[in-house]
Amino acid sequence: MLGLKESPWIIHYDASSCNGCDIEVLACLTPLYDVERLGVINTGNPKHADIFLVTGAVNEQSRDVIRNIYHQLPEPKVVVAVGCCASSGGIFRECYNISGGVDSVIPVDVYVPGCAARPEAIIDGVVRALAVLEEKHRDMAAIAHSIDKTLYMRAEASDAAELLALQKIAYQSEAEIYGDDSLPALQQTLDDVQNDLACMVFIKAVVNGKIIGAVRGYVEGQTAYLRRVVVHPYFRQRGIGRRLLDEIEQAFPDVTRFEAKTGHQSKRNLYQLAQRGYKEFKTEPFTPAITWVCLQKERTPAIQAETPALTP
Amino acid sequence: MNPWLRVILYVMAAPIVGGLLAGWDRRISARMQARQGPPIPQPFYDVLKLWQKENIVVRRSQNFYILFFLLLVVFTGALFFGGSDLLLVIFALTLAAIFFVLGAYKASSPYSFVGAERKLLQMMAYEPMILITAIGMYMVTKSFQVHQIAGHPTLLVLALPGVFLGFLYTLEIKFRKSPFDLSCSHHAHQELVRGITTEFSGRALAMIEIAHWYENVFLLGWVYLFFASSPVLGVAVSLLVFGFVILVDNVFARLKCQTALKSAWVVAAVLGFGNILVLSFLR
Repeated sequence: MLGLKESPWIIHYDASSCNGCDIEVLACLTPLYDVERLGVINTGNPKHADIFLVTGAVNEQSRDVIRNIYHQLPEPKVVVAVGCCASSGGIFRECYNISGGVDSVIPVDVYVPGCAARPEAIIDGVVRALAVLEEKHRDMAAIAHSIDKTLYMRAEASDAAELLALQKIAYQSEAEIYGDDSLPALQQTLDDVQNDLACMVFIKAVVNGKIIGAVRGYVEGQTAYLRRVVVHPYFRQRGIGRRLLDEIEQAFPDVTRFEAKTGHQSKRNLYQLAQRGYKEFKTEPFTPAITWVCLQKERTPAIQAETPALTP
Repeated sequence: MNPWLRVILYVMAAPIVGGLLAGWDRRISARMQARQGPPIPQPFYDVLKLWQKENIVVRRSQNFYILFFLLLVVFTGALFFGGSDLLLVIFALTLAAIFFVLGAYKASSPYSFVGAERKLLQMMAYEPMILITAIGMYMVTKSFQVHQIAGHPTLLVLALPGVFLGFLYTLEIKFRKSPFDLSCSHHAHQELVRGITTEFSGRALAMIEIAHWYENVFLLGWVYLFFASSPVLGVAVSLLVFGFVILVDNVFARLKCQTALKSAWVVAAVLGFGNILVLSFLR
């Protein structure tokens, strides 16, 4: 695709280690190597970048930063691990605080060897990354055409970071409705989501390996509480949320009643839930701006008929 | 030439000319730094690429403001090249910039807030001089209509040397160049993340870039207006001014906002207002 290969913008992050590769990356910008002749710009903003250059091994502190930057890069994006440490942990591999190479946190597309990696090798790595970038762009176009091939499945513990990122993106529209960033969904941390993953049932909607929607729920007595139907803003109004609700209702075969709640001004959510047979039964004040509307739904008679033994 | 023809020509040709100018800018800047620099069509590659990227937004409405920013910049240039009222042109340009700032505020990120505030400061810095330029042109030609100013038989710059120099000073701000590139540096990685454009990606960023091209062509058109009675000289000076802006960009570090604001107002008061005062005494 014209333009994509000619204009790779880079964000560079140094995870840890000796900073040797870090300095070599910056050396690529100097007049001697001048990567800008290939259209490369070393931008400081992940939202503008196409290529994520990571140098150094991953430690406890840099893990979250790497994940965060990675999720902020717009698709299509490519990750290049520069140097031995970034590729495998290098000589720091056995250290107590090192979790290994960059691929222990995010998927890596190109590995650049060297200790420190030479500028020529780094430039070569970037050029190779361009081929991957183009391939991903083709895949992305395929996603847009294969939205009807969405897979619905149980989320795993390793999905926590992606689910959190998705949740924060998806709830921005709610924050805008209420003019309030204090929505609990926006306040959740990675630990909270991991906690939720451990004690609730999560269903995720996946297209070509990327999570575009999710819902969670838990059972108390005879009631299943459904929480946080999130769909990426770009995949809304295509029936994904509806399907997620169906899937999670099926995930609780033994309950007789479902309960969901949403903010009082979230008209779209209320409409969608009403469409699925949920009826409002009470409201709870939460903050001055937000009042929760609780909706409930009895399990449909068709399914109850199959299990008559439950009702005396 | 028919004014409508000029407007259509501007709308079609300005992005091409502006993009090429941006390409030359990057090439010449690179050569000034002893680098080879990117190919001339690089800005077009960048915009094409951005157009194909995923659009990440904090609030979906933020890109709406950017669309209006682009439309208003095009509208401003169309008014100018259509030969309309210079004052209207100035306020349309201000409105365009305000939409840009609103978009950045809408994104609710501290970095884009800093960029937006600095953009407002920049506007405060350049607005007086731009108004004085319009007033100066009126005093010489007795008209605010661009087509009448362009048709004036004498070189405006002879009567308005101070105003011209003051206008050059504001051009440095408008072109987003050092030492006044406060809201968003032209060069990557010299910014608090990315200033006013921090939260824009994909198509919105491409639209900001295209708007910038339109704006540059419009501003160079205004430089031409000072030399309108001699078209060849006008075009030559416009290109020279562009080269001068690149040179200044490469030899100066960034100023503090306060210094930028104060110096711009001092220039407007001394060169701009002084020039107008002299003109009013002479006649």
